[in-house]
Amino acid sequence: MFVPKLTSQKTTKNLSSYFLEKMLNFRYNTNKLINELRLHRSASTVTPKNEVSPIFTNRNPRNLERMRIAYKPDGYHVEAPGRNYWHKLLLHSSGRYVTASVHHFEGGEILRTSTSDWALKKQLYKTNDTAAYINLGRVFAQRCLQSGLIEMSCYIDAPNPNGKVALFLKAVEDGGVCLKEPTQFKPIRPWDLERPEKPWEVTE
Amino acid sequence: MASSFWKLYNTNITGNISSSLCGSIRNGHHLRGKPPGIAKSLEQKLSEKNYLNPAIYFKVDIGLPPPRLSRSKVLDERLKYLKEQRKNPMLEKLAGTKQLIVNMEDVDKEWITTAGPLQIKGIAEHYGVFEHLFGDAYFYPRVPVNISFDTGDGEIPVYFGNVIKPKQASRKPKVSYDSDSNDLWTLILTNPDGHFTENEREYVHWFVANIPGNNIDKGETIVEYLQPFPPKGTGYHRHIFILYKQEKKLDFSFFKREGQCLTLSERTFHTYDFYKNLQEDITPAGLAFFQADWDSSLKKFYHDTLDMKEPVFEYDFLPPYIKKQKWFPKKEPFNLYMDKYRDPKQINKEFLMRKMKNVHPFKAPPPPLPFPNAVFFDGYVPSWLKLEMKKSRLKWGRINDIE
Repeated sequence: MFVPKLTSQKTTKNLSSYFLEKMLNFRYNTNKLINELRLHRSASTVTPKNEVSPIFTNRNPRNLERMRIAYKPDGYHVEAPGRNYWHKLLLHSSGRYVTASVHHFEGGEILRTSTSDWALKKQLYKTNDTAAYINLGRVFAQRCLQSGLIEMSCYIDAPNPNGKVALFLKAVEDGGVCLKEPTQFKPIRPWDLERPEKPWEVTE
Repeated sequence: MASSFWKLYNTNITGNISSSLCGSIRNGHHLRGKPPGIAKSLEQKLSEKNYLNPAIYFKVDIGLPPPRLSRSKVLDERLKYLKEQRKNPMLEKLAGTKQLIVNMEDVDKEWITTAGPLQIKGIAEHYGVFEHLFGDAYFYPRVPVNISFDTGDGEIPVYFGNVIKPKQASRKPKVSYDSDSNDLWTLILTNPDGHFTENEREYVHWFVANIPGNNIDKGETIVEYLQPFPPKGTGYHRHIFILYKQEKKLDFSFFKREGQCLTLSERTFHTYDFYKNLQEDITPAGLAFFQADWDSSLKKFYHDTLDMKEPVFEYDFLPPYIKKQKWFPKKEPFNLYMDKYRDPKQINKEFLMRKMKNVHPFKAPPPPLPFPNAVFFDGYVPSWLKLEMKKSRLKWGRINDIE
């Protein structure tokens, strides 16, 4: 459960009394207070050129996942790991072809690259040998980066450290895709031990 | 014997008393609800709950028709090509030694005309592009559009969801696509996530219409290019380029904005209404989009270009669930339990008062102790208070709110 709202200020009928109350709040929520100061100031000056409403909604369905605050399923504790993800990498090999795909926990398959695609098949000698796995990894990584999927969970175990699957995973990682997702950021409560830094406030 | 006696005893008393008497009896493990094989799983229940009737909730394809190709002809060509390929000893050797490296540019070029439109549509759906721009309509991007922003030290292409910083997109991008010289096109860049007042609306960042062929510069600029400006704290905004194919020359004077158009309310746009009114004359043909989030260059942009204060937002989390207060809570530490139901302002005030007691107005604060908990407590202090004090000395918990 989360509200897809980004609030800066709360609209109140009696601004000054609300403001006074907030001042008594002793930096209970510093960020909100700063925004209210801003509102108060802008209200007193000449009408601003571009108005900004106090509640802002970002409709991008991938935004909260990228900001790390979206809901992420935890899975079940007696089950083998494999449900705790926003995006997950899957690899499927049939008798002749290999297919790599990205799954979303709600949306299902969203991106798919296979050696049966003519674009890739055209340049390969065989569609399921080691070279095919490596090239599939390279092309797949590029598609992921092009579509903004830079991180995804991976529950694939490579049976052989120098085998096809391991080389595929290595090609994907070399292509720039991180095969580990960050954990979900849970809101900080007053009784929490520490106040960890918010991921979206960290700028490089 | 004992059980039969219990039954006899149980039937003799009224239901009200028996329930209170039976409270202490444990009947062992028993299943609640239907057994696992028969009961519905969570997945089944959710899919039933989220079921949408396809007779009502269906999507409409509004794009260009797919290119007409003879399947057998294409297949024949491909088989012939592969047969030749299998005879190539060089390729075999490279594949055998794991050194076969495909040419990425060729792969991309082939992909964009074969599987590309289907895949891009899938990704755009994942990003909610069609849902928020066209409602119940979608299209396959049949015309590949190459868009790239020219920064000082290299070009940054726009694909379908990659992240581009506002600083890198400060100048208008280069656009190219394949077209006949007689065709007319419209290119629109909108941001459906960033409207400051109405969240169902979009801001139009660039609008060029009546483009003859693929020469963007000869097109009629309806709205000048404006760089992305996602406010701080609001995350990633989608910026969507849509290329429409025009049937004839159109008059867009209704959408025309003079000059740079830095008053954002004038840039309000609604692709759904725009397309609905012109659907006889335009067809969406190309799609590319990127995501942009706040960067430090925007402060200057807000102050100098947009002439406004920089808005800053904070995500509003749901308040925590706190269960109803009980008269006699069992197995709960009384101080922590009571704190959950008190006014947080009052708690913070107490912490602040305690801190201010030791603050001297003129003297510098004493240096922090290397081992803050190696200090004796004066006189008798109850254990719960000792714990609270120890936590405060270590800067754990609520003390962080006032520090």
